[in-house]
Amino acid sequence: MIVQESGVITGISIAENIALGEINQFGKYGFLRKKQVVDKAREVLATIGVTDIDPSLPAASIDLQDRKIIEIAKVWAKSPELFIVDETTTAVSQRGRSILYDLMKQQSAAGKSVIFISHDIDEVMEVCDRLTVLRDGNIVKSLPRSEFSLDIIKQLMIGRELQGDYYRSDYDGSYPDEVVLSVKDLHGFGLTGVTFDLHKGEILGIGGMSHCGMHPLGKMLFGILQPQNGSVKATDGSQIKDVATAMKRALGYVSKDRDSEALIPLAPIRDNIVSAGIDLIAKGGLFVFPTTEKAFSKKQVDDFQIKCSSDLQFINQLSGGNKQKVVFGKWIGAQSKVMILDCPTRGIDIGVKQAMYQLMYKLKQEGVAIIMISEELAELIGMSDRLLIMKNGKISKEFARSADLSESQIIDYMV
Amino acid sequence: MRDVLLKYGNKLKPAIPFAGLILLAVVYLFVTDFHPTPFHLTTIINQVAVMAVLSTGAVFIFALGSFDISLGVAMGVSVCVGILAYNAGAGVVGMLFVCLAVGIGVSLVNSVLSSVFRLPVFIMTMAMLTVLTAVLQILIGGKSSLLVPSGIQAPIKAFDNLWVRLLFVGVYFAICLVLFNYTKIGRRNKLVGGSPIVAAQTGVSIAKQTIITFLISGTGVGLAAFLMLTRAQAVSVDTGASTGMDVMMAIVFGGMPLSGGAHSKIAAGIVGSLSIVLVSQILTMLGVSPGLSQVYKAVLFLAVVFVASLSYREKMLSRAIMF
Repeated sequence: MIVQESGVITGISIAENIALGEINQFGKYGFLRKKQVVDKAREVLATIGVTDIDPSLPAASIDLQDRKIIEIAKVWAKSPELFIVDETTTAVSQRGRSILYDLMKQQSAAGKSVIFISHDIDEVMEVCDRLTVLRDGNIVKSLPRSEFSLDIIKQLMIGRELQGDYYRSDYDGSYPDEVVLSVKDLHGFGLTGVTFDLHKGEILGIGGMSHCGMHPLGKMLFGILQPQNGSVKATDGSQIKDVATAMKRALGYVSKDRDSEALIPLAPIRDNIVSAGIDLIAKGGLFVFPTTEKAFSKKQVDDFQIKCSSDLQFINQLSGGNKQKVVFGKWIGAQSKVMILDCPTRGIDIGVKQAMYQLMYKLKQEGVAIIMISEELAELIGMSDRLLIMKNGKISKEFARSADLSESQIIDYMV
Repeated sequence: MRDVLLKYGNKLKPAIPFAGLILLAVVYLFVTDFHPTPFHLTTIINQVAVMAVLSTGAVFIFALGSFDISLGVAMGVSVCVGILAYNAGAGVVGMLFVCLAVGIGVSLVNSVLSSVFRLPVFIMTMAMLTVLTAVLQILIGGKSSLLVPSGIQAPIKAFDNLWVRLLFVGVYFAICLVLFNYTKIGRRNKLVGGSPIVAAQTGVSIAKQTIITFLISGTGVGLAAFLMLTRAQAVSVDTGASTGMDVMMAIVFGGMPLSGGAHSKIAAGIVGSLSIVLVSQILTMLGVSPGLSQVYKAVLFLAVVFVASLSYREKMLSRAIMF
């Protein structure tokens, strides 16, 4: 089974990760024959079509998407009779998706089985022979491939018809002239001279291939990573050099890696929501009272309709969609005026996705500036006022919002 | 059925350390034939006071997901410098301030160095344990112990009573309770303990938080040193040598999660200190030798850690999906 969250141990090598569970077969007289482990890992990676990852490297040295490929290789190496893939495609690049789809086809062709768990209706319709929809822990319905229909599946998933528009319906694309974030000539972490302005009430989409530099860019804008050159300046001209400064200038950051960087899984919803807005509720800058905290948290839980037994429920017991609502609640509760969203709809169901899109539009109308970094072109086209496409650490093209904008027009500037 | 057990189990879990303490108290009453003497109770409070102050301060460090193994020896050095200051004519109040200054100073060195060199706090305090042991031996000057001369002990002994101990423990605990449960300091400690990465990406300065934490804990070290000094008026090269481990045991007995974070409780220091002192007293009254007593305590510690880690694994694995 390939799990939804990270299943790689970062403290050991890529090869050792792939050999996990079968490491004893590489032992001799109590010693591990590392060369054989690496050779075997290289062979396994080659069978899934990956030749550019050196298995002798530490697992920590590769990014999250490549780590997921390592997990795929690890599972595939065991020639499973039943191949279970849990939400994996949301964590991999397009290459990873292709690899996974190909392996699933091979598994099926060999007369073996695959259970593919996903929120992405398009890919489910593309690769599955039969679909079982679950909601609230119950099986709603099973459909054979011949009965697959986008509308029916959406309805089964959320238990009602989607009300209103999925993405925003307007093609206005206008925003005030006021610049709230000014990015000049950023270098470092794969970026080479990224420059742009973000305006009040603007949804600025940033897209590209997974390694184009857009994810480090998001971290740099929020002060998590420090650029080698260049600057990120807030509306008052102050430079964003660290997270504390960014937060003081009302910036918020929704990380792509929700469970490791945005939320504390073994802590209650309340602690997570309050964490970013604690300065707002602290009396005299120091004292925090449980009643204030509870009210602060409850507002976000109610506003976002987070499904939980109470706000003292632990994060690790929530679904991906509800976790993401907590992350949004954390930053909106902190009264962020500039939201940097890195893959904000990763691993969440279609109902929550629509709610997130509607929220983004509402925030835009309230004057909040949003940077949406995403690998999903459809949502970038559907939501952005302006779209920056990145390639090799640079902005390769800028598109204005338009009803005529299509994925095919954009892809040429990505690859 | 499993869900019901889990639900009520989770609700009852915070009460387990208190239930354990009550059970130990009942056993203690049983071994004293239900007639504990004032001497028994005074002995317990005397022993608990020092450990409770140290443990309560250490809860802040534990909540960060770390531990200071040098706490006991830092207290020993603090006692030693306090005696030297008193013998030099600093007076009792001066001695108290010297004890506090040394406790806070050592903690500051630990926290600043671990922040500057980005070393894990535990590793830093391991090194500090060795350094402080050497410092203590040097300060004692090649002898086995250092005493307050009997002719000038009286002013110190005036503080050697039950009410002073209760006052010191009570005031320090009350301050820590407020800091831990009702200020940003406690909230941020739990946040860092839950995930340093998330905390950093939520604007928390890990270095600043570590230094604040060690200041609070260092104050506890200084106060514990003063309490010990009022009781013993002496320090030996072994003073505090095993106290670091005892504090760790006490905190875990008191219901502190091993990994720190959201479930950290300030009461763990006092509840755990009482529990571990009661265990020691019960074993002593049952005639168990000191050596064997340590073994029994170690086994009990492992059992508590095992049960605590079971609960942790349950949390890591449970995923009652709620769409």
